[in-house]
Amino acid sequence: MLEISELRKRFGGGPDAPGGKVALDGVSFAVRPGELFGFVGANGAGKTTTMRIVMGVLQADSGTVTWQGRPLARDDRQRFGYMPEERGLYQKMRVAEQVEYFGRLHGMSAVAARKATDDLLERLGVAERRNDTVQALSLGNQQRVQLAVALVHDPQVLVLDEPFSGLDPIAVDALAAALQERCRGGVPVIFSSHQLELVERLCDSVGIVAAGRMVATGAVDDLRAAEGDTLRVVVRDPAPGWADGLPGTVTVTGARHILRTTDGDDQEILRRAVKAGHVEHFGVERPTLTEIFKEAVA
Amino acid sequence: MNGLMLVARREILTQIRTRAFVIGLLVTAVLVGALTYAPKLFDRPDTYALGTVDSEQLPLQAAAPEAEFEWRSFPDEAAARAAVLAGDVDAVLVDGTKVLTDGELDGELGLLLQSVNREVRLGAAGVSIPPLQVESVGADARYQSARTGIAVVLVIVLFMLLLGQAMMVAMGVVEEKGSRIVEILLSTLRPWQLLGGKIIGLGVLGLINMVTILAVGLGAASVSGLAEDFPPGIAGLVTAVLVWFVLGYAFFATLAAAFASLVSRQEELGSVTTPLTMVIMATYFVAFYATNEPTGTLATVMSYVPPFSSMVMPVRMAATEVPLWQAGASMAGMVVAVVAVLAFGAKVYERAVLRTGARVKLGEVLRAT
Repeated sequence: MLEISELRKRFGGGPDAPGGKVALDGVSFAVRPGELFGFVGANGAGKTTTMRIVMGVLQADSGTVTWQGRPLARDDRQRFGYMPEERGLYQKMRVAEQVEYFGRLHGMSAVAARKATDDLLERLGVAERRNDTVQALSLGNQQRVQLAVALVHDPQVLVLDEPFSGLDPIAVDALAAALQERCRGGVPVIFSSHQLELVERLCDSVGIVAAGRMVATGAVDDLRAAEGDTLRVVVRDPAPGWADGLPGTVTVTGARHILRTTDGDDQEILRRAVKAGHVEHFGVERPTLTEIFKEAVA
Repeated sequence: MNGLMLVARREILTQIRTRAFVIGLLVTAVLVGALTYAPKLFDRPDTYALGTVDSEQLPLQAAAPEAEFEWRSFPDEAAARAAVLAGDVDAVLVDGTKVLTDGELDGELGLLLQSVNREVRLGAAGVSIPPLQVESVGADARYQSARTGIAVVLVIVLFMLLLGQAMMVAMGVVEEKGSRIVEILLSTLRPWQLLGGKIIGLGVLGLINMVTILAVGLGAASVSGLAEDFPPGIAGLVTAVLVWFVLGYAFFATLAAAFASLVSRQEELGSVTTPLTMVIMATYFVAFYATNEPTGTLATVMSYVPPFSSMVMPVRMAATEVPLWQAGASMAGMVVAVVAVLAFGAKVYERAVLRTGARVKLGEVLRAT
């Protein structure tokens, strides 16, 4: 299990120069083996900073990152796979050589690195571009190579910063499939994204971060349940004042009145609606991740 | 250690296969070869066409082994005069007593004819005069022009390679920082491995260049015969130049990497490496001046001051005799400087290379704890 607890980080300033900008203000969460953890938050909320601290390219002011109960060491990170927010590849290096090079940097033998590279490029659908330089590839294909770099050494943890940004729907599906496959193999995967529908569809659990704090974290279903179900009733041409005394809010669009509420007696509400006009819709809705997110960061 | 070597290997393999590297190497080799060949092509020995009328040929060849003499004989003086006027011969010796020329006689040839004539007559009379022995009480000046030539070529080659390779290191550092690939690299490598591997890899490429230049130069010189004029101890000089190149490169490349790690874009590289470029230029100018006055005070003093010593000392060693202890002392000083620069450069690089975005201030990096 990868556990992040109470990470704090301030940029600029310092002990003798107070001020600066607080990037992280006590971020904590845990990712279990085989769990796909979606990391969401507004721009500048602290997602990238957290991931960079996990990968050891940034030092936290305080707080700990532990892996299997021990503080994360350099040798552990050797077996992590990382995709930084701004893509980093050698533009003038050939695709296969580059992936192989990173495999070897992560401690693989030349033979093992070559084999893993071949397999991976095949599976990601860029095998026929193996001898092209990276700069000759389309953005989508560069992204696949970037993923191959993160995956080549069969990492025990995956940390991916915005892996889906800039991809077309086909590439998104290919990448999602690759991540789910790693997850099934028991690898904890953390990735950040602004595509909340995608996070909702893919992730077992999510963490919502706002202004350097983790404002909500847990399984997607739990978060939705905790938020509570919403009853939505649509009535056409109701009598004026039909909803007086009922809980919730009413919005009017043309002839339609829409009532939303999280409490009250649903049967009583239905009876009032039927009496007042033509009921077009009556149902219980769970909030989407987008709604939870907006609520959480508001 | 493994990481260090992997990084170095990548640098070498990536560069060595580029067209720029291969063409650069070929062009340098051809240039150096041509430069080495040129003096022999333009520096032809003096050739004199001489004639005789009723005379013995004078043994001029023995007196002037460098020059070439062509002799022909004429049946009478009239034929000889015609040949002199036509420019077929420079001078004709008539009856062993008179020399015919067209206008003034070439000074050197005149002296030669007169003195050899005198010697032959005296010898015939049974008098022999032992030639004067010449002894130089100053430095051995026999090889001076060859020495100066070698020194000039050396300083240009050292300058170009040191500057070129240091800039390659700087560009490589910015490439990695700007593309953020450094984040992936440093999640598995230590900063010193990445920095050291890059410096070693590009240094090996510089050495390949250096060795090619030296080999082509020496090869061409021995084929053209220029090598006969070379002073003794060329092998020692070549070894020293290679060592000085490595030291100078380590010094400048480390500083280049440290300064480059402060910026994230290639466009900013120029401004941040300007001070370093100036130091390399200054070193070059002092060294070039030293080729002219290798025993002057400036050359002597600067050959001990790092990093000037990295170019000035090899120039002094090429241009004049330098006692071994002086070369050793200067080298020891440079080694100390290199170690200091490595410590400084590694610290700056480690602290700055992950701080992408705006240019990082050097003072800020050094103050940080």
